[in-house]
Amino acid sequence: MVTSTAANEKENIEEPKAKKPLKEEKKDEMTEEDKKLEEDLGMLMQRLSEKDESLWKPSLDAMRNLIRASTTSMTSVPKPLKFMRPHYAKMKELHGAMPEGPVKKECADLISVLGMTSDEKSDCIKYRLFGSQEPIGFGYVRHLAMELSDYWKSSGVDTEEAKKRRVELEKLAHEIVKHHMKHNAEVEACDLLIEVERLDMLVEFVEEVDHQRVCHYLISCSPLTPDPDNSTLIQTAKTLYLKFGKPLEAVRCAVMLNDPEEIKRIVALTNDPTLRLQMAIILGRHQIFLDFEKIESGNQLADMNSNSHLFEYFHSLARELDIMEPKTPEGIYKSHLEHTRPFGGTSTHDSTRMNIAAAFVNGFVNCGFGVDKMMADQDEASRWFYKNKEYGMLSAAASQGLVWRWDIDAGLTQCDRFLYVNEDYIKSGTLLAIGIISSGVQDACDPASALLLDHIHSDRSVMRVGSILGLGLAYANSKRETVVKNEDGGIIVELKKVLSDNKPSATTEVKGLAGLSLGMIMVGTADHATAAEMLQYLMEKSDDLSDHNMRMVALGIALIFLGTQEKSEVFVESVRALPEPFGSMVATLVDVCAYAGSGNVLKIQQLLHICSEHYETPTDSKNKSKKGSAPPGGSTRTERPTNNLAASLAGQTPNPSGGPTPPRVQIPTSPVSTPSVGGVPLLASALPDGLGGLGITDQKKDDKKKEETRADLSSQQAVAVLGIAIIAMGEEVGTQMALRMFSHLFRYGEPVIRRAVPLALGLISVSNPQLTILETLGKFSHDSDSETAHNAIFAMGLIGAGTNNARLVTMLRQLASFHNKDPYSLMLVRLAQGLTHLGKGTLTLNPWHSDRQLLCPSAVAALFSTCFFFLDANNTVLSNRQHYLLYVLVSAMQPRMLVTLMEDEKRPGHLKQIPVTVRVGQAVDVVAQAGKPKTITGFQTHTTPVLLAFGERAELANEEYISYTPHLEGLVILRKNPEYEAMQQATSKK
Amino acid sequence: MGQQQSGGGRRGDNDRGGGDADKEKKKKYEAPIPSRIGRRKKASKGPDAANKLPTVTPHARCRLKTLKMERIKDYLLMEQEFIQNQERLKPQEERQEEERTKVDELRGTPMAVGSLEEIIDDQHAIVSTNVGSEHYVNIMSFVDKEQLEPGCSVLLNHKTHAVVGVLSDDTDPMVSVMKLEKAPQETYADVGGLDQQIQEIKEAVELPLTHPEYYEEMGIKPPKGVILYGSPGTGKTLLAKAVANQTSATFLRIVGSELIQKYLGDGPKMVRELFRVAEEHAPSIVFIDEIDAVGTKRYDSNSGGEREIQRTMLELLNQLDGFDSRGDVKVLMATNRIESLDPALIRPGRIDRKIEFPLPDEKTKRRIFQIHTSRMTLCNDVNLEEFITAKDELSGADIKAMCTEAGLLALRERRMRVTMDDFQKAKENVLYRKKEGAPEALYL
Repeated sequence: MVTSTAANEKENIEEPKAKKPLKEEKKDEMTEEDKKLEEDLGMLMQRLSEKDESLWKPSLDAMRNLIRASTTSMTSVPKPLKFMRPHYAKMKELHGAMPEGPVKKECADLISVLGMTSDEKSDCIKYRLFGSQEPIGFGYVRHLAMELSDYWKSSGVDTEEAKKRRVELEKLAHEIVKHHMKHNAEVEACDLLIEVERLDMLVEFVEEVDHQRVCHYLISCSPLTPDPDNSTLIQTAKTLYLKFGKPLEAVRCAVMLNDPEEIKRIVALTNDPTLRLQMAIILGRHQIFLDFEKIESGNQLADMNSNSHLFEYFHSLARELDIMEPKTPEGIYKSHLEHTRPFGGTSTHDSTRMNIAAAFVNGFVNCGFGVDKMMADQDEASRWFYKNKEYGMLSAAASQGLVWRWDIDAGLTQCDRFLYVNEDYIKSGTLLAIGIISSGVQDACDPASALLLDHIHSDRSVMRVGSILGLGLAYANSKRETVVKNEDGGIIVELKKVLSDNKPSATTEVKGLAGLSLGMIMVGTADHATAAEMLQYLMEKSDDLSDHNMRMVALGIALIFLGTQEKSEVFVESVRALPEPFGSMVATLVDVCAYAGSGNVLKIQQLLHICSEHYETPTDSKNKSKKGSAPPGGSTRTERPTNNLAASLAGQTPNPSGGPTPPRVQIPTSPVSTPSVGGVPLLASALPDGLGGLGITDQKKDDKKKEETRADLSSQQAVAVLGIAIIAMGEEVGTQMALRMFSHLFRYGEPVIRRAVPLALGLISVSNPQLTILETLGKFSHDSDSETAHNAIFAMGLIGAGTNNARLVTMLRQLASFHNKDPYSLMLVRLAQGLTHLGKGTLTLNPWHSDRQLLCPSAVAALFSTCFFFLDANNTVLSNRQHYLLYVLVSAMQPRMLVTLMEDEKRPGHLKQIPVTVRVGQAVDVVAQAGKPKTITGFQTHTTPVLLAFGERAELANEEYISYTPHLEGLVILRKNPEYEAMQQATSKK
Repeated sequence: MGQQQSGGGRRGDNDRGGGDADKEKKKKYEAPIPSRIGRRKKASKGPDAANKLPTVTPHARCRLKTLKMERIKDYLLMEQEFIQNQERLKPQEERQEEERTKVDELRGTPMAVGSLEEIIDDQHAIVSTNVGSEHYVNIMSFVDKEQLEPGCSVLLNHKTHAVVGVLSDDTDPMVSVMKLEKAPQETYADVGGLDQQIQEIKEAVELPLTHPEYYEEMGIKPPKGVILYGSPGTGKTLLAKAVANQTSATFLRIVGSELIQKYLGDGPKMVRELFRVAEEHAPSIVFIDEIDAVGTKRYDSNSGGEREIQRTMLELLNQLDGFDSRGDVKVLMATNRIESLDPALIRPGRIDRKIEFPLPDEKTKRRIFQIHTSRMTLCNDVNLEEFITAKDELSGADIKAMCTEAGLLALRERRMRVTMDDFQKAKENVLYRKKEGAPEALYL
C-alpha cells in the first residue's frame, strides 16, 4: 500500500499546479460528502489554530475519528488525508507552539499519520517519537516500519545523541513488531528486525503457531544475505526451534552452521529416544559421523548414524520396485537400437576402453544391489578382471565396491577372495573396493582402516594407490576417534606420513592421492595445520609443479576449506607464495571451495574478472600490468596481470582482496584493448600426447615449457568457471542466473573456459536433467573442440545421474553412434549412460538433501573433485592410468528413497519398516505466503518405500501416523497418531 | 553375401581404427545439433528459455523478495560488466561479420522462395517452388529448425533448392484482427460517474495484473473475469475502452457475433485461438462485447446453426474455467441482456464479478452533460438543470445524442452558439426516436 500512496503522492504534488485554473470546476466535481468532509476538516483546523485550548482536544479527537473512519479502495489515499494535506505545514507549526501535555502528543500522532503522505521522508517517524505511541492502522504501521529502517540506517552510532535516538527507535521497533506479530504479519516483523539488526528481539514475540513460518522465512532469507547476517538468521531460527521444542529442526540449523559441538549439545538435550534416532539418521545422511558415547543409548544412535543398515532399506526398496535383477552394461547401452551406418562397422576396436567403461557402467548400474552378472562367481570375475590390463584391472576390481556398496558384511566376503591373488592391480583394486563399500558407512569395527592401513606404506606404489584412495573414500568427512586421533594408527596421521615419505614407491601419484584423501577426510574442517603441511609439500616440490598429480594435493587443500568461507582467507594469501601459475590456480581453488554453496555474489564477480582476461603477447601485458595496478573509480576488483611472464617480471605481490562492496557495474577499467591471439595458446593438456593412448608422458619438454607457463593461467580460469557453478548452486536464483552467465562465458571465453563450461553446467544441476541444460549440453557435445565435447558428454551423465531420463537416454544413444570411431568419446558416452542409470535409477548425486536446505560436504567434495579432474581429463580420467579417479564420485551417491520406519513393539529400541501411504508431488515454495498453502502440487499417492525425484516432496496421506521430521526424505521414523483411532471411531459412529 | 560385405567393411574399419586417433585433427563429418522442429510449443522450452529471468516466488512485498530481486540485479550487472569487458578486449563484431558473410556465401545468390511441404528428418525436407514443382532437398545446418514448420515459406538455394533460410511471417492474421494496436482515446475521466463500477473493474482486472501481491498477501485468488451489464447506452463499452486505454497489458477485443462462423467447428476453434493468443501475450485482457450473441441459454434445437452457436459457447465455458489454467488472462464481457445468458457462463469461477450499469442518476447526468457540453459554446440561456431534473429515462448515450443533435441544429441555422431551444428540440427528437419502436405509446 505504501507504493500506491507514494504514487498518489506524486499525483497530489502535481495537482495544485495543474488544477488551479480549473479550481471552480474541480470543486463542482466533488461529491457532496467529500465537500462536507473537507469543510469539516477545515473547520477543525480553524478551531485548532484558535487560542482556545479547551477546544483543541475535542477537535483533534474529531479529526482522528474522521481519519479512522475512512475506508476507500486500496489504491488511493484515504480522502481525509488528502484534504488534510494543505493543512499539513500548519499542523506542524501548531504542534511546535503547543504546550507540553497529552494534547501535544495527540497532535504529534496525527501529524505522524499525515506524514505518510508528506514529501519529507522522516516526518512520520519523527512525530511518532513525539507522540503518545499507540498503534493506529495497518497501512500506517507498515509505513512506519519502512521509515524506521531508513531512519535507523541514516542515524549513526557515533554520537551520544544518535545512541539515544537508537534506544528510542528500538522501543518503537519493539512495539511495531508486537503489533505485527499480533496481526499475522510475521514476515514484516522479521524484515524490520533484520533491518535494525535486532533479531534477538524476535525470540520473545514469536508464538507457537507462528514459529514455523518465521523460521522458514529466516532460513530462506539466509542464503541471500551477506556473510555475518546469514548465520545470525540461522542462529535465530535455531533458538526459536529450541524454544518451541523442535530439537530436530534445531539440529538441522546447527548442521547448516557446520557446528558439530552444537549438534552434540542439542542431541544430548533431547529426551525422546526416537527423536534422537531420527537426528542420527539425518546426520548420517549428511555424512557427519559423531561419537555418541556420552549420550544415553549412544550405541544405537551410532548405529543409525553410521548408515550401517542403509543397504537393508535400500534392498527392500529395490524389492518393492522389483529391480533386484542385475543388469549388464549391454542392457544399458542397448546398442542394437543405435543407428549405425551400414558400412561404418561396429565399435569392436579398442576394447581396453570399452572394458574399462563396462567395469564402471556395471558398477554404477548395479550400485548397492549386491548382485551383478559379471562378478558374482569368482572364476568369472577373475576372467573378467584379466580381460583388462594393468590399471584397467584396478578399476575393474574396484567396481566390486560399487556393487556391494554399504553392505559391509557381504561386500567384504566378496572382496576377501581377491585380496590374496598374485596380481597387484587386482589386489589394489580390491582394496579400493573395500574403501568404496565402507564409504558413507561407519562400521564400529572399522574394517576399512584395519584392512587398508597396512598397505598405505607398501613398497609397491600400485598397492598404495588403491589403499590410500580407499581410505579417503571410506572416511570422508568422518570425525570419529579412529580417524582424528593424533597418534600412530590414526588415519590422518598415517596419511600425513605418506605425504612426507621418501621411499621409491612414494611416487607423485601416491602423494597426490594422499593429499586428495586427506582433503576428503577433513573436508570442511579448516584445519590449518594439515593444510600447512600439504602446502609445505607443494613448496618443496615447487620446481616440479607441472606434474598433474600436484593438482590433487592442491585440491586436497581446497577441500579442507570447503564451505568455511572467511576462515580460509589467511590461507589463500599464503598459498599465493607458490610459484606463479600454480599459486594463483591453487589460491582460486581454495577460495572457490571455501565459498561453495554460499551464493556469494562478490566471489562470483571476482571469478568473472579472472575469466575476463585474455592471453596477450608479453609486451602488451607488461604495459597492462603497470597500468592495471591502479584501476580508477575506486573499484575493488582484484586484478592480476594477465600473463605469467609479466607477473614474474613485475615481482608480483598479491593484491589485497576487495572489501565487501556490492557489485556495481564497473566501467571498463583496464586501458589496453589489444585483441588477443584468439585460440592460439592451447592447454598443455590439449596437446595430443594424451590422445595417443600413451598415458602420461613426461611433459616437461623444454620446447613446450613456454607455452605451458602461459597456458597455466588458463587453469586458474577453468577453476574459476567451476567455481561460479559451485558457489552459485547455493540458492535457486543464483543457479538460474548462473546459467545465463555460462552461456556468455561459452560465447566469449578462451578455449579453456569453453571446456570448463559444460562441467560447470553439470555441476550446477546434478541429477536434475532440466530440458534447457540438456539441450545446451547436447549442442556442446557436438563441439568442434574434442575436449569440450568430452566434458559435455560427461556433464550429461552428471545431470542425468540416477534419473533414467528417457530424453537423455536417446540423446546419449545418438551420441554413441556419432562417436562410434572415437574411443575416448565413446567411453565417456558409455560412462554417461551408466551414470544415467545409476543404481537403476534409484540413486542420486545431488549434494542437497533435507528439503534442499542441507549441503552434504563430502558429496560436494566428490562432485567438485571429479569435475576438477576433467579439467585435465587427458592426463587423469581419460588416461590409461588414472581412470580410477572416477570412483571419487562414490561419496556423492545416495539413494533418493523415502522409507518409513516405526519403533518395533516387540523389540523396543529397534526400528522396523512399515508401509504407509504418502503423497508425492512437486515441491512448492510456500515461504512468506498467507494462510496454509499446499506444499506440493500434482501429487500421486504411493505406498512407501518410494522414490523421490529432484524437487519432489512427500507428505503423509492420512493422519494415521505422525512423522518425527517434517521433511519426508530418506529414512523417516513415524509414530502412531493417538487421536487417529478416536477420530475414525467418531466418524464411523456417525 | 550381405554378411560378407558388411564383415569386410568392418575389418577394413578395424585396420583404420588404429590410426584413428592421429586423424583426430582431420575435419570429420559433423552431425547437426539435435534439433526439434516446429514452432508450436510452449515458450518455456528450448535453449532460449535459459535466457529468461527466474521467477521470484513470494509475490508478497517482503525482504525475501527484495533480496531475490537484488540478487538477480547483481547477476545482471555482472553480466553487463563481463560482456562490456569482453567486447572491449575482443570485439565480436568482426567475427560475426565474418560468419555472416560465410553464411551468405553458403546461401548463394539469387535465392528462390518456396514453401515447406513436409519435413522428412533433421536434414531433409520436401519443398515446393513457385513454379509448382516439388523437390526433396537438404536443410542446411545453419537454418533455425525451431522456426521450420510445414507450410511456412523458406528460402531456397537457386541451384540445389536446399533450404537456406526461413521467412518469418509472424503476423498471425487472427491476432492482428483482435489485438488492439492503438489504444482508444477514452479514459476514465471521460466516464461520468460510475465510480463504484470503475473501482470494481479496477480491482478485478487491473490490479491483479499490476499488483498480484495484494491478493497473495490476503490469500485469495483474484477474480478471473467480469461481466458488465445494464441497459443500452450506460457506458459498458466506454468503460472497457477506458480500461484498454489505461492498461499496458495486451488488450484483445472481439464481438460475440465474430465467433459465429460459416463452417462447423470454426467458431470453437476461434475461441481456442483467441485464448491461446491471449496466453501467449500474457498478461492480457480479453474483452468480448455483446456476449449474448453466443452466450444465450441452451435449449433443444434442431437447427444446425443454433447448435453450432451453442458449441461455441461450450468452448468458451471451457476456456473460461476449464482444465488448463489460463495464467494472467482476464476476461471482460459486456451485454445488455444478462437474464438471457446461460447460467453456466456467468457462474462464479468463470465470471466472478457482475457489474451492473444503472441508468444515470441526477448527479451522474450532470457530470455527463458537463463532459459533453464542455467543448460546446452555449448560450447564456441554456439551463441544463432542466434536463437533468426531468424524469425522462435518459442514458449516457441519449445525453450524448442530445448534445450532438443540439449542436447539429445550431449548425443548420449557422449559429455559433447552441441555445436552449436547440436542446429542447434535440431532446424531443432523441426521445421520439427512442420511443419509436414502442407502439404502446400510440394507444395511450
